[in-house]
Amino acid sequence: MSAVEFKGYALTDPSRWNDLKVSSFQPKTFAPDDVEIAITHCGVCGSDVHTLTQGWGESKLPLVVGHEIIGHVTRVGDKVKEFKKGDRVGVGAKIGSCMQCRPCKSDYENYCPKSISTYNSEYPDGVVSQGGYATAIRAHQQFVFPIPDEIESRDAASMMCAGLTVYSPLKTYGTGPGKKVGIMGIGGLGHYAVLWAKAMGAEVYAFTHDKSKMGDIKKMGADHIINTEEKDFFKPLANTLDLIVSTRDVFSPDTPLSDYLSMLFVHGKFITVGIPDANQPLPSLHPFSFASNGCLIGGSSIGSKKDALDMLELARKKNVRPWIEEMPMKDVGKALQNVKANKVRYRYVLTQDLN
Amino acid sequence: MSIPEIEFKGYGMISTDPSMWSEFQVVPITPKNFGPHDVEVAIKYCGVCGSDVHTLTGGWGKKPDVPLVVGHEIVGHVTRVGEAVAEFKPGDRVGVGAQIGSCGECRVCKAGDENYCPKMIHTYNGVYPDGVRTQGGYSTGIRAHEQFVFKIPDGLELRDAATMTCAGLTVFSPLKVNGCGPGKTVGVIGIGGLGHYAILFAKAMGATVYAFSHSASKEADIRKMGADFVVSTHDLDYYKPLQGTLDIIISTIDHFSPDRPLKSYLSMLRPHGRFVTCGLPDADNPLPTIHAFDLMYNGCYIGGTHMGSKREAIEMLQLAADKGVKPWIQELPMSQAKTAVEGVKTGKARYRYVLKQDLVNYD
Repeated sequence: MSAVEFKGYALTDPSRWNDLKVSSFQPKTFAPDDVEIAITHCGVCGSDVHTLTQGWGESKLPLVVGHEIIGHVTRVGDKVKEFKKGDRVGVGAKIGSCMQCRPCKSDYENYCPKSISTYNSEYPDGVVSQGGYATAIRAHQQFVFPIPDEIESRDAASMMCAGLTVYSPLKTYGTGPGKKVGIMGIGGLGHYAVLWAKAMGAEVYAFTHDKSKMGDIKKMGADHIINTEEKDFFKPLANTLDLIVSTRDVFSPDTPLSDYLSMLFVHGKFITVGIPDANQPLPSLHPFSFASNGCLIGGSSIGSKKDALDMLELARKKNVRPWIEEMPMKDVGKALQNVKANKVRYRYVLTQDLN
Repeated sequence: MSIPEIEFKGYGMISTDPSMWSEFQVVPITPKNFGPHDVEVAIKYCGVCGSDVHTLTGGWGKKPDVPLVVGHEIVGHVTRVGEAVAEFKPGDRVGVGAQIGSCGECRVCKAGDENYCPKMIHTYNGVYPDGVRTQGGYSTGIRAHEQFVFKIPDGLELRDAATMTCAGLTVFSPLKVNGCGPGKTVGVIGIGGLGHYAILFAKAMGATVYAFSHSASKEADIRKMGADFVVSTHDLDYYKPLQGTLDIIISTIDHFSPDRPLKSYLSMLRPHGRFVTCGLPDADNPLPTIHAFDLMYNGCYIGGTHMGSKREAIEMLQLAADKGVKPWIQELPMSQAKTAVEGVKTGKARYRYVLKQDLVNYD
């Protein structure tokens, strides 16, 4: 029986959304399929900001967020064969699902209608799921991913959500040699999308409004960089792209979504992985916008374990390394503030410092 | 049969007064300048499409020039062909749909998706590069580039094939593109001209079909069309028991209402399922508001579609001939076009009007 102590940096007062206080919390009730993990690293995700600021709705309190988790296994339940004590593993944005429905049985557990998020969700027995800005976590083995030896923990951390969230639609679509892929917004998720799409052999068009990022984006490997502040930037690219993965996190009624759609080749897809605050719907669309190229707009929700293992294998094989900034977990308030203000280049990773 | 010389004339709208949108008079037509790749067709039948109504009323935003002859569900016999045409000969039974030209050279055209060519020309209310306006099939004849002419297989009656050239193709294309077939479950929303074809073709392609309609009076017909399940959308919670059921939704909704949020339809999709809007409402009627959350829960897609390619048209017509697909049509003489277009506007068609050309007898 391990003596892991569960405590983390928690939200207690929503009016001070990034002022997190160290608190103990009740972990998931340990079950035969579970893996218990002592956390060493946790990345900072836009989801953490949307949740803490209450932008996505009222959150539970107190709440420990963070879902880009790396650590070492401390104990496993009797039904767990894949992992043993000491293994280096990761956990992302989902931590449970029903395991019985059709999506769960088809390697789409991330789309289970009863899926449980790593934080701010409730288990059937009433325990609230608490995230990775903490000393430890327990997760069902389906949501625990083994980390290849060649990938350092600090690099693997943000792959658990940012990396996976863009890898999944890139893979689902068939990104590879001969495909032209547009990535909109080059932040945490967007920079991963550039790195993966290049590693998968595609031709990459990176779209950004931030001129200061262009040198970096070139180094990340993008074949073309387009400044979206330029008038009519989309016109030369009409009917060109097979896929656009958009990490846009903010939508207004003026967001020119139909201009973005016009850049797609026939039956091309625009996938938004960016999820804005609840009060920001997509801008108005008329079927005319789809009729000109028979395009589709879609969404995507993180990725399955199958996607995660493929992604980690790609990272290992092609030596993909994210652009991260590391800091001790006690500085999480500053990290959150900077993510909200778009200052991060390109993902923060917190090193656990509570024990 | 002897090959007739066509006198091009048709039933056209002649007034831009909005209250006169369904008043037709016989008008002469300047046909396309005949070229080496062209096929000339003596028209026997023309179907009546929602597009005809949207165009005549100005609802789609482009105020039509008059006189305007609409109609793009055309079937008839070939009268003559240009020197470069090898596929057709005089006497052939053929159809022409909603598109009549494209550039032929761009990446899209070369991929066989000419219905998405940025320089596409529509069968009516369009204009050729030489300035000739395109006029449609409520008329005696039409000339079209061979890429836009489809041979009608033996075993398919002309009057049945007519409405396949637009209504049929407009739903067949997304069914095909989105993988309709055995093992797939397809939802069809709105059972009118397009919707009834979606049921017939989805069944012919081997899928399981859920039909959604707000008209209780159509239920018996819908079952006869072959739908496996009929869902009344009167009950506002109709979609709840169907969460995660459908692979593809073909929506023929022609007018979006704010009490029907898109996410209720989207919730019925399986992971990575697709909602395709075939209906093109008036310009001032956009899709209901969606939030990125609505697309995230099941990683679904919303898409659109525009007519279909020749490759798809040929496949569709052959499928119809092989499987005995018979549309539910109501035939009227072409002189009664007013009755037909007004019937379409008020949702009266059961399920598609076909006008029999009555200006010239070619038999």
